[in-house]
Amino acid sequence: MNITDIYVNLPVKDVQKTREFWTELGFSINEQFSNDKAICVVMKENHIYTMFLKEEFFQTFTNRPFAKGDTTQVLLAIGVNSREEVDQMVKTAIGNGGSKYAEPVDYGWMYQSSFADINGHQWEVMHGDVSQMPAE
Amino acid sequence: MKVNQIYVNLPVKDVQKTKEFWTRVGFSINEQFSDDKAACVALNDTIYVMFLQEDYFMTFTNKPVAKENTSQVLVAVGLDSREDVDKIVNTAVKNGASQHEEPQDYGWMYQNSFWDLDGHGWNMTFADMSQMPAE
Repeated sequence: MNITDIYVNLPVKDVQKTREFWTELGFSINEQFSNDKAICVVMKENHIYTMFLKEEFFQTFTNRPFAKGDTTQVLLAIGVNSREEVDQMVKTAIGNGGSKYAEPVDYGWMYQSSFADINGHQWEVMHGDVSQMPAE
Repeated sequence: MKVNQIYVNLPVKDVQKTKEFWTRVGFSINEQFSDDKAACVALNDTIYVMFLQEDYFMTFTNKPVAKENTSQVLVAVGLDSREDVDKIVNTAVKNGASQHEEPQDYGWMYQNSFWDLDGHGWNMTFADMSQMPAE
């Protein structure tokens, strides 16, 4: 089985601030799927999207209370095209209200840095060359 | 800015059971990125889910792992047909998952959902964007 696309849905307090944050990081917004309760950030056209939903709206899709930001249920790791993009994204995130929760890690074949966004969701940004991954 | 791939990392209690569950649901395992602490499920060739043993997951975050009584994330994936949507949800439920919402049919989009063995929420969707109604 293969999927065609993924929408990762995350709760946020303020949709407008979230829109500004992700736009600053350099991503575009799919306006067709965005409104005052949700924004759809395009991470990879036609394939990978993140939907940030206002907490009350997110709540309508689950019968469990939405997480309040003091726990972690998910870590989102995204691959980008260069080390420079890794550092640039993390730097821009922290400059715009994100926070750092781990140091960058350099594995040689893979480089990774991370930030928590303005809603506390944790993102690992990485650049890797799997062909250089050491065999066990 | 564009990403080239995504790994959604979720904590689980039992990696082996999780591996069996997702294999039965119909996905393949990327063995290169799997071991006794983690199972890497390939949803396609750029979209992966890493299920990490809870203790291992904890080493990547400075906050406690969420218990099953809250939702931080709902993962929705698109499939090629309505039949695939129902097949995945039915197989999941038969293998220990639980039905979340009843299937919803919007005409241009069909959706069905389940909670997996560890309480992570999954929405399976099939959409024909050409039929999406204009506002």
